[in-house]
Amino acid sequence: MDEPAIDPFQVEVFKCRLDSIANQMAITTLRTAYSAILRDSIDFSTAVTDANGLTLAQGVTCPVHLGSFPAAMNRLIEMFGAQLHEGDVFAFNDPYVAAGQHLPDIYVVKPIFWKANLIAFGITVGHHSDVGGIVPGSNSIGSIEIFQEGLRLPIVKLIDAGRPVDAIWEILRLNVRTPDEVVGDLHAQIGACNICEREMVLLYEAYGADMVRLYSDYLQRQGEEIARASIAGLPDGIYRFEDHIDGLGERPEPITLHVAVTIDGDRATVDWTGSSPTVAGGLNSPKAYTHACCYAAFRCLMPPNTPNCHGFTRPITVVVPEDCFLNARFPAACGVKGLTGYRMIDCLFGALAQALPQQLTADGAGGATLCTISGSHEGRRFVFSETVAGNYGGSAQHDGEEGVAHIGANHTNIPIELIEQRYPLRITQYGLGVDTAGAGRYRGGAALFREYEILADSALLQVRSDKRDFPPHGLFGGREGSASWNILNPGTPDERILPALMTEPMILRKGDVFRHVMSGGGGYGPPELRAEEDILTDIHNGLLSVDAAGKQYGWRDAPTAAPARLIET
Amino acid sequence: MNKTYRVASDIGGTFTDLILCDSEGKISQIKVPSTSPNYSEGVVSGTLALLERVRAEPSQIEDVLHACTVGTNAILSKEGARTALLMTKGFRDILYLRRIRVPRLYEPLYRKPEPLVPRHLSFEIDERMDAYGNVLRPIEEESLERVIDELRHAEPEAIVVSFLHSYANPSHEQYVVKRLRRIFIDTFICASHDILMEAGEYERTSTAVINGYIGPPVRRYLDSLIRSLSSAGIHQPLRLMQSSGGIMDADAIVQRPVQIVESGPAAGVIGAAALGHALGENNLITFDMGGTTAKASLIEHGHALMTDEYEVGGPVSGSAILGGGNGYALRLPSVDISEVGAGGGSVASFRHGTISVGPESVGSDPGPACYGKGNRRPTVTDASVVLGYLGADSLAGGALPIDAARSVRAIEEHLCQPLSCDATSAAFGIHAVVNANMVQVIKTVTTYRGRDPRNFTLFGFGGNGGIHAVELARMLRIRRVLIPYGAGTFSAFGLLTAREALVLTQALLMSTGQMDFERLSQAFAALEDRIASSLQKAPRSLQWERALAMRYRGQAFEIDVPYRQEELAEGGIAHLEAKFADEHERTRGHRIQDAMIEIVRLKARGSVMSTTPLNQAPSSADLRKKKANRNIYFGPSYGFMSVPIIGRPELVGGRREGPLIIEDYDATIVVPPYARAGLGSFDSVVVELDEGATYG
Repeated sequence: MDEPAIDPFQVEVFKCRLDSIANQMAITTLRTAYSAILRDSIDFSTAVTDANGLTLAQGVTCPVHLGSFPAAMNRLIEMFGAQLHEGDVFAFNDPYVAAGQHLPDIYVVKPIFWKANLIAFGITVGHHSDVGGIVPGSNSIGSIEIFQEGLRLPIVKLIDAGRPVDAIWEILRLNVRTPDEVVGDLHAQIGACNICEREMVLLYEAYGADMVRLYSDYLQRQGEEIARASIAGLPDGIYRFEDHIDGLGERPEPITLHVAVTIDGDRATVDWTGSSPTVAGGLNSPKAYTHACCYAAFRCLMPPNTPNCHGFTRPITVVVPEDCFLNARFPAACGVKGLTGYRMIDCLFGALAQALPQQLTADGAGGATLCTISGSHEGRRFVFSETVAGNYGGSAQHDGEEGVAHIGANHTNIPIELIEQRYPLRITQYGLGVDTAGAGRYRGGAALFREYEILADSALLQVRSDKRDFPPHGLFGGREGSASWNILNPGTPDERILPALMTEPMILRKGDVFRHVMSGGGGYGPPELRAEEDILTDIHNGLLSVDAAGKQYGWRDAPTAAPARLIET
Repeated sequence: MNKTYRVASDIGGTFTDLILCDSEGKISQIKVPSTSPNYSEGVVSGTLALLERVRAEPSQIEDVLHACTVGTNAILSKEGARTALLMTKGFRDILYLRRIRVPRLYEPLYRKPEPLVPRHLSFEIDERMDAYGNVLRPIEEESLERVIDELRHAEPEAIVVSFLHSYANPSHEQYVVKRLRRIFIDTFICASHDILMEAGEYERTSTAVINGYIGPPVRRYLDSLIRSLSSAGIHQPLRLMQSSGGIMDADAIVQRPVQIVESGPAAGVIGAAALGHALGENNLITFDMGGTTAKASLIEHGHALMTDEYEVGGPVSGSAILGGGNGYALRLPSVDISEVGAGGGSVASFRHGTISVGPESVGSDPGPACYGKGNRRPTVTDASVVLGYLGADSLAGGALPIDAARSVRAIEEHLCQPLSCDATSAAFGIHAVVNANMVQVIKTVTTYRGRDPRNFTLFGFGGNGGIHAVELARMLRIRRVLIPYGAGTFSAFGLLTAREALVLTQALLMSTGQMDFERLSQAFAALEDRIASSLQKAPRSLQWERALAMRYRGQAFEIDVPYRQEELAEGGIAHLEAKFADEHERTRGHRIQDAMIEIVRLKARGSVMSTTPLNQAPSSADLRKKKANRNIYFGPSYGFMSVPIIGRPELVGGRREGPLIIEDYDATIVVPPYARAGLGSFDSVVVELDEGATYG
């Protein structure tokens, strides 16, 4: 026999060990990270690849980062393949020369050697608190060229055969607003790569190179086979869906996403033809990121146990036209491609729900709002940035969840008490809105809102949000959810509605209050079919007013029965 | 004079384990079926049976120790108290919204755990503090009155008050609690600052809500247990194990039941530390495998590793990894135990082209297929039966008969057919996969925390610990394994070794560059007063351990650094900084030169000076001799081997080379061909692995 027979149980053991390495990298990053965005929002990812840069395992981190590794690794190997040394650590962020995603996402990669042979790469990508550019936090919405977005790093060595490359570190420190955080976070990423190195060497010592190769290949094939089986389970056909991003600034023009998913046996093609051309703002998505989002959406259709390796992406073909904002071309800006990514996944779910009505939900709040408040207080600069999320739409079995992260990026919120300890800000309200959920047999999740009071002497506000003009859609007769809003000084004579996607930072004064309201999730199935008990529970829990219950569900309050008694058991 | 006795009981889902220990340290043990829902019956009948065995009277019992899962059960079964929550106005949904992050990726239909307080029982009080404890808005009486009215209608069994920044200034919570206590006399009422003096509104609220939710059931349970013991003639105060590993009187626990949610598992770890100490083994990885889960924790220099981040009520409990979100956040000092859904009852399946073992479990009822109680799917125990690790009469001394044919059938039907392999390889495969899962959980407490497992002895216990421990050691390159006597009832034994103790923390932000020692010692003094008064002891009569939670400025996760004033006097602040940096490098892979270091919180543990020491080996009277051989499979490189089945007494003569099976009344130890076993002090089985037996 040429190839030893593979014991499927031993493959599971091997996979377990690889997953454990990727997760250990993630924990190391999390526990040593400096910036709030990395550690509190967990906006980073870890992976281990083989010597060819094909992903073997990914940490339980941020799905839309994960699918982007192969393109980045291809570029790195192309450029440095023959000149990799033990103790090298590379960094890059540029989407055009280095296959990055957007400038704040800095990749840190370490080649790993065993017995003088290259065996693997440890990779982490982390969203940094600042990389320079026109706005603090480097997530400018209004930029039209990448040059406005901050420091562009081609693939460079941070550490050369064990020696830090001082020049690069100096350039980094000089070009970012938060040098201590950026340097601290890069150390956290390097620490994770070192852990990967240590563990991969142990893995090779235990298995030997041949067995590792054998099992790795098997895992890739297994991932691919499971993906093919999942796709083959969908009825053949072309599933189309159209969704929109509200658009930029005060007079937004809708930006269109149009997708046609072709299911042909065990293969899927995702075609974005018909989507808007390049956008004059930071919403353009580099091709690697567009691919990553498509893979993440399809991964949701596969069983949980599917190996998170490159193999599962093989049966999925992604087509993006040349002049399209989903195929960012130099020098298009892409600082807020994250929003575009959420919308790609939502749009794909809209298409795939037609094929899989039981497995997907109606549209949800559409991914985290990114809220950045920067400024100075008592002579000290600060940059505060946080993600606010989220809810899901209703499904065939239950109401939409509230207070959950979007499928595309698994962020957390930042504790209010920590924000108030560290920043000249006060959170004045945080909760769920009444009458915001899209009606349906199973309603969408209620909308979240969060309100900030500025305590600083001066501050700049920038908000990346969406779903005001195009709120989350319902499915199969379910209604759309409520619209999202940004309101300055609500309920006062100074009240002012701010754009969903602010192309320019807004100057705020001490005492100003900013209120962000997310959208409500879309409903699933016709509202007439909603169980009366569920309507009463919502009323009782304060999520649905009696008035709205009448309008949305045709429900009439029985005057004699107090709702509280009806649902108590 | 009559002998006196101490009795320890640990209630599990299937069995209640009891140990009686006389004043000379002589031990007898018994396993009785747990008597749900009136668990106290089993405790009393078991205690009386043990007393009878040693011909003693209930009045001779001078100490009653206990561990139970009643708190966890209330959460898992959603049968806790109807709990109301009072929050600062504008923040009613904090408990419900949690931390947003979801514990699993790629699941559009993911559902969060139900909140322990429904939204209609969450109320808002108009009041507000800032982060420094300044009152921004005093309590608005009218809003309080309104809520009190609503509470009268809602009739909750528990009320939890959790206001923003109460850790910085608890006066608003204190005022409201005082008012409520005057009105709702029979209601369980607690304030968040009283449970946890730390920032982080979700975690503090969640911890306090767990306390309220399990408060009434724990109180009912303890009342009934005390009554039953008393009517059986046992009047000594009941004392309980806390998750932090210390013992505390039941009357104090009634106020803070959240401290006992992991009492059983913690007792096992504390027992391991004590037994390890007596055996001169102070660096241990504990591995506790039962029917549903496997748990691991770390003992270093004789001390169990602690954590402040915990989750309960999820698929598995344990310290929150990567932001967590599986269960309900519980932020109190607890023995750091990681858990995985891997036990004897874990189900093996082949679906979608991949094999999985657990977390789904058939527990002990219906149990593995070989029990013949209705389950036909293969489990980890069935694999052990097919491989020969367990014989027909291996369980509970043969009281639970095993039908090997059923194990074979289950494996053939569910695995061999789709995978076209034979039952032996499939069984070995199940064994390998469950071991790989358990290796991960051991890694969570070792390599994930910068510890190399090779520097530790693996301490295996629980009903299934002995079957898997040696193979796990091989996979982790550990050379030495200890299996204590009474491995199956070891948590009850642990209760006998624990000290009365309480750990509390207090937030305090201070940079090491600007140390205010005066403030630090005042804060420690205040914290220690709280501990001493909870333990109802004079502070000076207690033994103290202090620690500072430190981090590089800007980080969010701290490292506990032991703090001793004398050390500081000698080495100055630089000494403290160096200790922190060393530990940072060890657990997190690097240190940072010239970075500012800050102290975030204080932690103190006050314990009552040592209880009865372990001074004598437990009675070996229960140890049976066995003599037989069985055909046993240790993987393709060894094939089936005829292996002697022995009892511990047969190791008395000296070490014996593997392969061996050592069968106890309550546990089985598998000694593979690459290891040998001997008998250590306290009748522990010591297994040593060949140097060449590395992971492959």
